[in-house]
Amino acid sequence: MTTHAVDDPATVTTHAVDDPATVAARDGGGCPVMHHDFAPSRPMGTHWELAKQLREACPHFYNAYDKGGYWVFTRHDAVRDIYKQADIFSSASITPWEPDPIYRLVPTQVDAPDHIKYRRILNPWFSPKSMDFAEPMIREICREYVEQIAANGSCDFIEEFALHFPTSAFLNVIGVPVSETDRFVKWVDDFFAGFSGDPAGLEPMAKALQEIREFWVAWLDERRDQPEIPGDLASHLLHVKYDDERPLTDDEMLDMLTVLVLAGLDTTRGELGYMFHHLALNPEDRRRLIAEPEIVPLAVEETLRYYTIVFGDGRKVARDVDFYGVQLKKGDMVYGLVSAANRDPDAWERAEEYVIDRKRNNHMGFANGPHRCLGMHLARREMQVAVEEWLRVIPDFELVGQDGLVERGGGSMMSLNKLALRWDKAS
Amino acid sequence: MKLRVDASECTGHGRCYRIAPDLLSYDDEGYVSIRGQDIDVPADMVDLAEEAEGTCPEGAIFLIED
Repeated sequence: MTTHAVDDPATVTTHAVDDPATVAARDGGGCPVMHHDFAPSRPMGTHWELAKQLREACPHFYNAYDKGGYWVFTRHDAVRDIYKQADIFSSASITPWEPDPIYRLVPTQVDAPDHIKYRRILNPWFSPKSMDFAEPMIREICREYVEQIAANGSCDFIEEFALHFPTSAFLNVIGVPVSETDRFVKWVDDFFAGFSGDPAGLEPMAKALQEIREFWVAWLDERRDQPEIPGDLASHLLHVKYDDERPLTDDEMLDMLTVLVLAGLDTTRGELGYMFHHLALNPEDRRRLIAEPEIVPLAVEETLRYYTIVFGDGRKVARDVDFYGVQLKKGDMVYGLVSAANRDPDAWERAEEYVIDRKRNNHMGFANGPHRCLGMHLARREMQVAVEEWLRVIPDFELVGQDGLVERGGGSMMSLNKLALRWDKAS
Repeated sequence: MKLRVDASECTGHGRCYRIAPDLLSYDDEGYVSIRGQDIDVPADMVDLAEEAEGTCPEGAIFLIED
């Protein structure tokens, strides 16, 4: 980590357009220009430590990189306001180091008034009502994984469970045979290995993206000109009307289906990893969840707050505005440090503690404002079912080797690369 | 006491009806079913209403004393 004060000669660079010192002068509070690279993998927990240091050091700062820079907001209220003021903070780019992306994720990167029109098509598929309908099958899928794993007495939780179970559950919800799980697992793993900033991962990432798209092209073609198949999302998209006016274009359908795969699978894998790491280290929490199963949903929410996998979320400034003392200009990129905001002591009591039955838990683990996570009800249900089914069969388990756990960098979402667990087979 | 959900702020996180299922429910899209409305809070559910207000990430829930 390197931190330079604004007047440090080492930071005086010669960007033609975006000189950090010049930009930083737009901040009346005199916070430093920094040069953080959030992408590399680090030892587990380091990203939250870094987020805490940044939050305590400064409410906002300008983070410069070789081709530009962006404003980072570290505290709860500013992060919330970035999310909620979507007319100022556009989703045209959500990656601050990529202000003009060549891709367009639908509906992720769509602003009002079109955004809600796409969401209205997708919301019912991922609503609590749909999840109530899907839950018995999700539980059945989970049970099969857990019972198979339980007999072995040990596992790599990430490889054998967290990558597979959410993928199977998701495919089931959108009407793709669960037998396709392994293909999707590999695609998503390859995609995010590259997305998080590892240069060696770029080629596999592009290939994965291409193969996901080809899968959906063929999948849509098989359903085209057929009556709508109940429970089949691709078939539904072929029949639905956008804004009650026109059919979706092929590009829109492919974008939506691809985004769902990328957004829906890796995230749950990340959260499950941290939740089970926590449960492995905290037997009293395991026993409490077994004795009081009604608090499992609260534990899921607290996991999303305390172990927030979204290091930060980017937005593009749509018009000049004074925001928390910074004169933002149209076209600037901002980065709301969600992982810092979700542990901000100004927002919660005992913010730096994992409180398993926390009730007033208005965290931003699923973002906030109009772009709040589409798949949140599915993700919660998967986490809840995973805890219930796992603890039913494997009530006691521990880490194998507590050192050396590595989490993928905050360039995409934090996620444990590996989590070795063991338990007594008789237990 | 009345509980009000501001329709322009509610985005359907679903925390309120999860934490207070005896008081609040959801519609087909996942929004709280009383979005944009006021309801009377029964005396024995004031605690639940306060928890629902405190757990809304959007600050969309308002409690109004009679």
